[in-house]
Amino acid sequence: MNTLTRGLRAALATAAILVSGGCATQVTRVSPDQQIDLSGRWNDVDSRQVADAMVRQSFQGDLGQSWAMQYMQTHGGRRPTVIVGTIRNRSMEHIPVETFVRDLERAYLGSGQVQVVASSEERAEVRDERADQQENAAADTRARMGREHGAQYMLQGDISQINDREGGRRVVYYQVDMTLVDLETNAKTWTGQHKIKKVVEQPRFRL
Amino acid sequence: MMKTSTISALALAALAAGGCAPRMRPVRAIQPNGAIVRSTQDDDVARARAEGSSERARLATEQDQVMGSALAACTPMLCNAIARGELAVGMTREQVLAATHSSAAAWDERGGGGIATLSPRDDASGPKDVVSQIAFVTLENGRVASYAYREPQGVRVVSSAADATAGGQARARAGQLLREGDEFALAGDFDRALNYYDRADIIQPDDPATTLRIARALDKQLRPYEALIRYQLFLHQLEIERIHAYGDAYAQYGAAVAEARSRIIVLERGGR
Repeated sequence: MNTLTRGLRAALATAAILVSGGCATQVTRVSPDQQIDLSGRWNDVDSRQVADAMVRQSFQGDLGQSWAMQYMQTHGGRRPTVIVGTIRNRSMEHIPVETFVRDLERAYLGSGQVQVVASSEERAEVRDERADQQENAAADTRARMGREHGAQYMLQGDISQINDREGGRRVVYYQVDMTLVDLETNAKTWTGQHKIKKVVEQPRFRL
Repeated sequence: MMKTSTISALALAALAAGGCAPRMRPVRAIQPNGAIVRSTQDDDVARARAEGSSERARLATEQDQVMGSALAACTPMLCNAIARGELAVGMTREQVLAATHSSAAAWDERGGGGIATLSPRDDASGPKDVVSQIAFVTLENGRVASYAYREPQGVRVVSSAADATAGGQARARAGQLLREGDEFALAGDFDRALNYYDRADIIQPDDPATTLRIARALDKQLRPYEALIRYQLFLHQLEIERIHAYGDAYAQYGAAVAEARSRIIVLERGGR
């Protein structure tokens, strides 16, 4: 009886250690380049793939030259200026569009082919600061009013989603379309598109 | 016996259910979960930066050459126009490129002999000067004979120094507005016609042709008091006393003067 109790105690202690070890939070740092899909919903991999595709398409043209390069050639080397407009999320998921829009802005600036100006949301704060400087900053350090750089093109876009489901299997399709619109003529100068399709299989019963 | 038939029925049902299920080849992953997929952005941006900087350097050299030859042989008036970034009659091809800050790649050149026409290769984002977007430039013996702007009311042609002044610009724009107003008057839409005539009246005031059109449109809208005032203003603007002195100068308004006088009489009698 005494032996049995000791054995039972040891087993219980081992089980308790195992259970407590199993429940501990585990964090593993991984490379941002590693593709990790858990739920099948929109994630960082999709965002990065969209950004990669849009950046690549931005600097490719139908006639072998990008739209920015064509603009420079017809305007004596001057670079086009882009303002980011609205990227509409027409999907059923929460998709933070800022991630790939920022990637695209960074690519435009890094390429030296395109200038980017602050969007309507961003410039409100800048304008407030400039207005404040007119009263409070020394005259020789004051940012002057009415010197904003006007954009020639606006970047607009949307994300659409189509779902198909049967039993425990689901197909998710995303289409991201982006367009550069000439602010004066409404002409669409460039369109980029990226499509993502995923098959998500979920077991009917889980432990 | 009973048991065998039950089993057969169940087997058939299972087969039928299997047949109704969506058939699909096994899905093939293009990227296995957990794989490392490197971003291509930095490579694309680096390539674009290299291409962009070499192209900009080439364009800067070309622009320097164009500007050099444009400014080497320009008269003071043309040099001022180039500095303002504005086209002018008498410019050479290089001076056109310099004034519009464009390169030869931006234009299509057509024509032969002594006359050539430069038109923008891309209508949507073609070259422009400080005034507006350019529709075409006509060169005669290598010098600009005329050029045209693409404006909201249509194409405006400049073929003399007078056309390029603020007065000439206003005259051309007022003419375009009057033509558009006439189209609405022809369609019986006098509200819109009046809107266009009023706009023409603002940019080129005291023009008898505009006042007469406004008077007629108001008359057709059965607004007698306003029409009467406009008819009287029309006669005043013509300075009837001078008509006899200038003779044919106002001959084109002869019928209009008679019309205005008769309408004034009718409208004044109607008002009593």
